[in-house]
Amino acid sequence: MSVEAREARQPWILLAPALSAVTLLLFVPLLFILVYSFWLRTATGADQPGFFLDNWREALTDPFYRDILLSTLRIAAITTAVCALMGYPTAYFIARSRGDKLLMVLLLMLPFWISYIIRTMSWINILGASGAANAALMALGVVSEPVNMLYNEAAVILGLTHYLLPFMILNVFVSLEGIDANVEAAANSLGATRWQSFLEVTLPLSLPGLAAGGLLCFVLGAGTYITPLILGGPRDAMFANLVFEAIITQLNWPLGSALSLMLLLVLGALVAIYNRYLGMTQLMKGLG
Amino acid sequence: MMGWQLIRAWAIAVYVFMFLPVGVVVLLSFNDSQFGSFPMTGLSLRWFAELWSNEAILRAFRTSVALGLLTALISTTLGVLAALALVRYRVPGANAISTLLIAPILVPEVVLAVALLLFLDFLGLHKSFALLLLGHVIFTLPFVVLVVQARLVSIRRDVEEAAMSLGASPAQAFFQVTLPLMRPAVLAGGLFAFTVSFDDVTGTLFWKPGGVETVPTQIFAMLRNSISPEINALGTAMIVMTVGLPLLGAAIARRLAMKDGG
Amino acid sequence: MTRKMNAVARCERLRERYMNGDLDRRSFLGLLGAAGAACGLATPYRALAKEVTHIRFDGWGGVVSEALRKHAFDPFEAATGIKVVDGTFGGGDEYLSRVKASQPGEYNIAHLSGVFDYARYHNLGLTSELNEKNIPNLQYVIPKLIDVFRKVSGGALSCVPYDYGTTGIAYNRAHISDDEAKVKGAKLLIDPAHKGKISGWADWRTRMWYAALQTGQDPNGIVDEDAAWDAVRAHRDLALKYWNSGAELMSLLAEGEVHVTEGWSGRIYALQEQGHDIGYIDPPNGFGWQECMFVIKGSPMEACEELLNFMLAPETAIAVAEAQNYPPALDPTKVDLGPKIPTLPAFDPSGTLAGLTFADPAYWNSREAAWSKTFGRVQRGY
Repeated sequence: MSVEAREARQPWILLAPALSAVTLLLFVPLLFILVYSFWLRTATGADQPGFFLDNWREALTDPFYRDILLSTLRIAAITTAVCALMGYPTAYFIARSRGDKLLMVLLLMLPFWISYIIRTMSWINILGASGAANAALMALGVVSEPVNMLYNEAAVILGLTHYLLPFMILNVFVSLEGIDANVEAAANSLGATRWQSFLEVTLPLSLPGLAAGGLLCFVLGAGTYITPLILGGPRDAMFANLVFEAIITQLNWPLGSALSLMLLLVLGALVAIYNRYLGMTQLMKGLG
Repeated sequence: MMGWQLIRAWAIAVYVFMFLPVGVVVLLSFNDSQFGSFPMTGLSLRWFAELWSNEAILRAFRTSVALGLLTALISTTLGVLAALALVRYRVPGANAISTLLIAPILVPEVVLAVALLLFLDFLGLHKSFALLLLGHVIFTLPFVVLVVQARLVSIRRDVEEAAMSLGASPAQAFFQVTLPLMRPAVLAGGLFAFTVSFDDVTGTLFWKPGGVETVPTQIFAMLRNSISPEINALGTAMIVMTVGLPLLGAAIARRLAMKDGG
Repeated sequence: MTRKMNAVARCERLRERYMNGDLDRRSFLGLLGAAGAACGLATPYRALAKEVTHIRFDGWGGVVSEALRKHAFDPFEAATGIKVVDGTFGGGDEYLSRVKASQPGEYNIAHLSGVFDYARYHNLGLTSELNEKNIPNLQYVIPKLIDVFRKVSGGALSCVPYDYGTTGIAYNRAHISDDEAKVKGAKLLIDPAHKGKISGWADWRTRMWYAALQTGQDPNGIVDEDAAWDAVRAHRDLALKYWNSGAELMSLLAEGEVHVTEGWSGRIYALQEQGHDIGYIDPPNGFGWQECMFVIKGSPMEACEELLNFMLAPETAIAVAEAQNYPPALDPTKVDLGPKIPTLPAFDPSGTLAGLTFADPAYWNSREAAWSKTFGRVQRGY
């Protein structure tokens, strides 16, 4: 076999396990969901096989789903921006500090040891009417009545940020770690201010990490349903809540299938754009 | 240096934010009362006693750890191989493949859960621990792929090539040059995979075979009835184990190293 | 009946020998099969001993499953050699979707809520047919509770009733007096005076039931549907949040986040037991419900029937009731229920349950598809 042929086959050998896992455990099962989305749920709760477009018509034309989808994307975008703002300087600090970096990273994952539901519910103990924040404010005499801070969209974003921030920080940190600190020093020695050298050297080089972290935050944020249930008010819901309700509460798998494929398509399109403009090939070109 | 001070203050604030819920959970695990009203009324160790006698949650804990470790191992292996292929080789359709590998986190988990079960039913297979493990591998894979890819991009290929030009075989170049450089990303990917698996509720609810509970599903069922502060006690115990023990280990290692050195 | 009792007595004797170590497990099960075959049961125990190695049970976690484990499952395992694999679920809807995605025979017995749930399973073709002769303890159960299930599945039973309770109105006595609660009843939940201090269950049935009460309608026959939805909207706008679990319900009340909400009688009783100053009333036509132990189609029937009989044994049913604070389905005129149960909310000493209103399964299930969906929208401001 020629060297070129071996060289061409090698990546596929490396990709084979991951690709076959995703195909077998995700795409083939999703075909069932696709088939289901054309079925109908009958009044008794049983599913009627066939080829009906009713679910898709409902999912695509009903403004209710469009509105919630848009507000879901908005909440995910805000959360991602907050995570980037909070996370980037923190990751920079870890990467450039002379302390024990591994320990600092491990500390960041500490909240994950407490189950997600419990972690989210603990914000009630912090910000609720009889939570720590209100107790402190009242003890200091700042307020006389507990301030209502929970059960609104801001609380949902707070909960999501707390959940997603480690993903952002770790991704940025990992890419900052890959940048030779000497590059920055070299820029400095050439007369650039620290800020200039950061903007022109470090930031561009760390963009892959920022983009990967941002993508993770956005996608995970857009797919969440437990946080709005615990920290949201009566009206706060995200698209995954609708999917969850259709499948679990209403046992309407056909509609739930159509809705989830819709969310998958929207998020998939965003990822495709990410890969096109911020993704690997693009970045490699930039670096090459 | 002004800027650095600012960054440090910012980072400290972020850590405080991340630790607030942890602090509250630890505090409430010593709370006398079942409910977390502040100011607290008294201290007690009763939730630790209840945790210790709660065989179900201890069993769930062991299941979760085993599941998380296996998930991290498999997922990291698959993810690192795939990321290497995508970054190190010219693969036709690399963008599309990248998107495909991230797809598991684009699907709402409840749908992934049902879809996988429908497929299993079609194959006539029964639920098993292996299926649960595969399910976890699938939705932790994107985390690994993303973080490893981002790191690999910034490792310059010429380092490897330099090694090879100095006579190293491709395998040697990989194991002795690339892998050490990738280590932070591999560790981060494994950490992601473990924690995401350890924390998963929705998929696990659907995939777990009879008699198997993980910590989150156990908690989910307990919450149906009431607040159970022994869950807080479990959180405290785990934090002591994961932070306290490594710190102790590091201190001992340093002590020994100093002895060796001196 | 005598033949059956003889068989039971024989099994008991065998079990004793087995427990004493005279018999190894294999011959114990074989003899058990022979004993069953000898007394001519339709599907003899022989088949059971060969095939049935375990029964899958799913129910609420925590105290309930602990009580069942101790008083029913462990003795059952010792008596029959059949393992009870118990799992938990966080809610009835979640469990049904798991059953729907399962293979026949994978799930066997479930602790279900409400007759309408029973009807849902029936409509999906998941009901089995119990041989009541194998469940002698069924004689202690309140007849009215059994009859409603029979009506749904056309005479045969696919479950045994197990416990009952109500979803009434719970209020913080520091802010709402007993008198106010009594006078306002269900309307307390849409009283603008308590805006931001109101909660409610995020369950469309409960929301519509209380909307019916708030608009002066019969919950099992709502005439003015629009008025009811308006009441749901009014409640939504006054509410701080909806709760989704007992944990949230209890902490919202105990931590003073809200002053009034609907609540499950047993959970509110637990709060009162801990000394929280919480009041609880069932308004006229308040929401009563009953739970049952349901056997899913495709399960090993004889083994399940025997397990149900263990679970219905007064000692077990009472222990579970005391743990979860819901009265057992046992008839208080036939069984001594001990000191605690008569103090539980919703308890009916007469055994007739005349004071409780249950959801009419035909009425509610025919509206399920439409109303659950409508509530999803109304909840989000539509």
